Amino acid sequence: MSLWRQFTYGLRSLAHRAKRDRDVADEVEQYFEETAAAWMARGLSAEDARRAARLEAGDMAVVKELVNSYGWENTARAFASDLRFAGRQLLKHPVFTATATLTLALGIGANSAIFTAVQSILLAPLPYPNADRLVVLDTHWTNSGHTTRRVTGPDAVDVRDQARNMDAVSLYSNGTLGVQLRDHSVYTVLAFVDANFARIFSMQPVAGRLFTDADAHHAVLVSEQFARDNFGSAQAALGQTLRVENESLEIAGVLPASFDFPARTQVWEAYPLRPESESRTAFNYKAVARLRPGVSFQTAQTELEGISRQLETTYPDANRNKQILALSLQQALTGDARPTLLLLWATVGLILLIACVNVTHLQLVRSMERQREIAIRKALGASRWQVLQPVMLESLLVSLIGGVAGVLLAFPAVRLLVAMAPKDLPRANEIHLNGLVLVFTLGLAVLTALVSSMLPAVRASRLDPARVLKSDASRGMNRQGAAALRDGLVIAEVAVTFVLSMGAGLLLHTMMTLRSRDMGYQTRQLLVVDADAPAHSEQDTHRAVQQFNNLFVQLAGVPGVEHVAGVMGLPTGDYGSNGYYKTRGGLPVDLGHETSSIFSVASPGYFEAMGIPIKRGRDFSAQDTYESPFVAVISEALAKQSFGNADPLGKQIQCGLDSDKWMTVVGLVGDVRQDSPAENPGPTLYMPMTQHPFYGNQIHIVLRTHVKPLSLMNVVQEKITRVNPFIALRFTTMDEMVNESMEAERFRAVLISTFAGVGLLLAMLGVYGTMAYSVAQQTFAIGLRMAFGAEKGAILRAVLEHAAKLASWGIAAGLVLSLMLARLVMAMLVGVHPMDPMSLGAAALLLLLTALAAAFAPGWKATHVDPMVALRAE
Amino acid sequence: MTDLNTDVIQGTLDMLILKTLSLEPMHGFGIARRVEQVSRGVFKVNPGSLLTALQRLERAGWLDAEWRQTENSRRAKFYTLTRTGKKQLEQETADWTRRASAIARLLKAEG
Repeated sequence: MSLWRQFTYGLRSLAHRAKRDRDVADEVEQYFEETAAAWMARGLSAEDARRAARLEAGDMAVVKELVNSYGWENTARAFASDLRFAGRQLLKHPVFTATATLTLALGIGANSAIFTAVQSILLAPLPYPNADRLVVLDTHWTNSGHTTRRVTGPDAVDVRDQARNMDAVSLYSNGTLGVQLRDHSVYTVLAFVDANFARIFSMQPVAGRLFTDADAHHAVLVSEQFARDNFGSAQAALGQTLRVENESLEIAGVLPASFDFPARTQVWEAYPLRPESESRTAFNYKAVARLRPGVSFQTAQTELEGISRQLETTYPDANRNKQILALSLQQALTGDARPTLLLLWATVGLILLIACVNVTHLQLVRSMERQREIAIRKALGASRWQVLQPVMLESLLVSLIGGVAGVLLAFPAVRLLVAMAPKDLPRANEIHLNGLVLVFTLGLAVLTALVSSMLPAVRASRLDPARVLKSDASRGMNRQGAAALRDGLVIAEVAVTFVLSMGAGLLLHTMMTLRSRDMGYQTRQLLVVDADAPAHSEQDTHRAVQQFNNLFVQLAGVPGVEHVAGVMGLPTGDYGSNGYYKTRGGLPVDLGHETSSIFSVASPGYFEAMGIPIKRGRDFSAQDTYESPFVAVISEALAKQSFGNADPLGKQIQCGLDSDKWMTVVGLVGDVRQDSPAENPGPTLYMPMTQHPFYGNQIHIVLRTHVKPLSLMNVVQEKITRVNPFIALRFTTMDEMVNESMEAERFRAVLISTFAGVGLLLAMLGVYGTMAYSVAQQTFAIGLRMAFGAEKGAILRAVLEHAAKLASWGIAAGLVLSLMLARLVMAMLVGVHPMDPMSLGAAALLLLLTALAAAFAPGWKATHVDPMVALRAE
Repeated sequence: MTDLNTDVIQGTLDMLILKTLSLEPMHGFGIARRVEQVSRGVFKVNPGSLLTALQRLERAGWLDAEWRQTENSRRAKFYTLTRTGKKQLEQETADWTRRASAIARLLKAEG
């Protein structure tokens, strides 16, 4: 094909440039010789013949040039040489080049890193076959608008039996539990799944088999990691038994490390397809389903609505206002991380904007320096494109170098990001740079090149050579417009940086607020032991509670320990429960506004160990047994909610935790913040462990110490293992737990602050650049003023005043921008107003100082202008 | 007195070259000379466009080129029509004839 020929000929002529030149020259010369020879044949002298040939055929050199320039390779060559020229120009201006590339590298690097996270978490399909057909089922109440990611067993079974648009529905539940191996016990993330689960995810075991319904309560699948850690290899794990809640289970298969659903699960236990809970009000399960091929989301949703309506008619009591919803699995997994990721994305977008403004600025300064060069080119008749091309090319080159540096920067940045990420960040293990990110970065680089060179290029093309060649920038005879434009860019930069600093300020203030909050208990010097004693029957649980009670006594004897207690429902802990309760003799309750509370089950001494003040009445005691009358301790918020100002002691209370016996309120304690410092203290209902043994085998043991809490770890472990080696144990401290509960806030605050720091750095560069340039330009004027006796202080003041003026305008503009953007971060703030005066003041001050600091060096230089030198300089 | 236009009609240079070469292999100047002679001086080809066109046709695969001696023993680049070149010529000729006769008819009808 001729296209191929075009290509190979082009390559050949590129490779053998000299030969092609020679051939063309030879051919053209031969043509001219023949022309001249023809004229000589008509009788002209050699001299005249040559002149005639020239008249007829034109100038030989021009023809050669014309013929030589044919072919795509010449365009490519011209481009390459222009690029080389641009490269040389950049090398000649190292400060400009370094500043611009560094600026872009920071901007582009930050964007690549965040885009990597956004792409891997929000955009990339889930790593399962047919991921786009996977959904989770939610239960939604149309009257209250409340939605839970849980379903009841019977509801889900009805969906499974009736929904024609779903080819599989699976019920599962999950949690962290102790798994008993041959001689010890390990804390493990466990999922209880039915036989459909494997089908939905098209699971493929790396060893062994999947399970069927007949395997329920008999078989488990384990992760490759779990198999390796506990048995050496996947093969070795097959056929081994382990125990969960006192049930003996055989390892039937090993799942590949890449399978991670529900997140971080290590062991999947087979549960029957027929759910054990038959209540339509107990939301004990989660459900995943797979849509049939070609079924739209909408169709599936419509069908679910039909089924929900039908259930509502059949079970008016339990299912009134209840609706089953389908939500794509991807959305269900990543929905919570979305706002944070988008906030980060927006932030790095701002950074890139600042970087672009900075580079525009640098380009502008550079193009002003080369105004004369451009003017001369234009005066000599260069076309608009010929004037623009070098400006654009230079900018493209800078952006590409910046882009490459940015990608190199993104590698460690992504690793840092993943290391810093909160534990509940979904798909964190899938975050890595890939082709799409590279394409995105390249696009970004080209875009920045275009954006940042637009203004300089337009200005260059509009340049009037006559005026430029007359005015002389180095003598301060500069056009007013240019200075105003540069000032405008600095103001824009300061404004955007202010927005970033303000955001960082707000998030940091939130962190400070959270850190200084009173949790309602003492977090210091508190060792927390997660303990799970295996239990299946009611007798098992009674025995476990007895064992724990004995343990508390033994542990209290360990040197360094002050108080010991056990609890289910520790603040910021893994285990907890909540629900509705009723009172006798309390305030009347409206229908539909039942009172609810956090439920906590504790041993005697818990309040003392935690430092929760007992306001009235008494703590639980050894006399409160399963056989004695049931008692409860309530928190002040609960007392206020249900008893108002009346004395709550002696009142009766009942809840549906595990028994419907009425309990007598015997004590009143202070409120705590249950899940994190971000939460408000709320009502809590405490019940003794001995009276609620079903919640007493999986507890946190808290030890108040007067030594470093973790230093007691080994002693405590040894004591517990001696009593029962099959109690799974995990150690941490209360401080650590509270800290972890603020992970998301900290992650955001640290990242946004880092970005604000980068923004400040860039803004500083921008201000410095402007000031340095304008001082350099005004050297003549400054020299003149000094020659006429101006004070050094006055000159420095003038420069600083100018910088302060720009910064103030920028801060004002940034303030307006912040006002408009405030609601974006509103949901992420705790106890801090979006227009928080402290963050506002700090951001304004920081920017003003930054601007002044950046202007100081140029200002100082201005005071050292030697009038004699300045006035003589040309 | 006005100069007579001796420019080759736009878009026909390729066809003229191919036609000229269909008789025998020739070098650039030979082609120019032949076009001028056969057209009795109506068309004059300038070397810049001619030699560029020759490169184009060669790359399109319609011509082959070879360095040979001329009769006055000077090295020159001779061009030969290839098979695809011949086909191209037939097609362009047919196309041109169709259009030229249409124009001729139109002009006559007007008169």
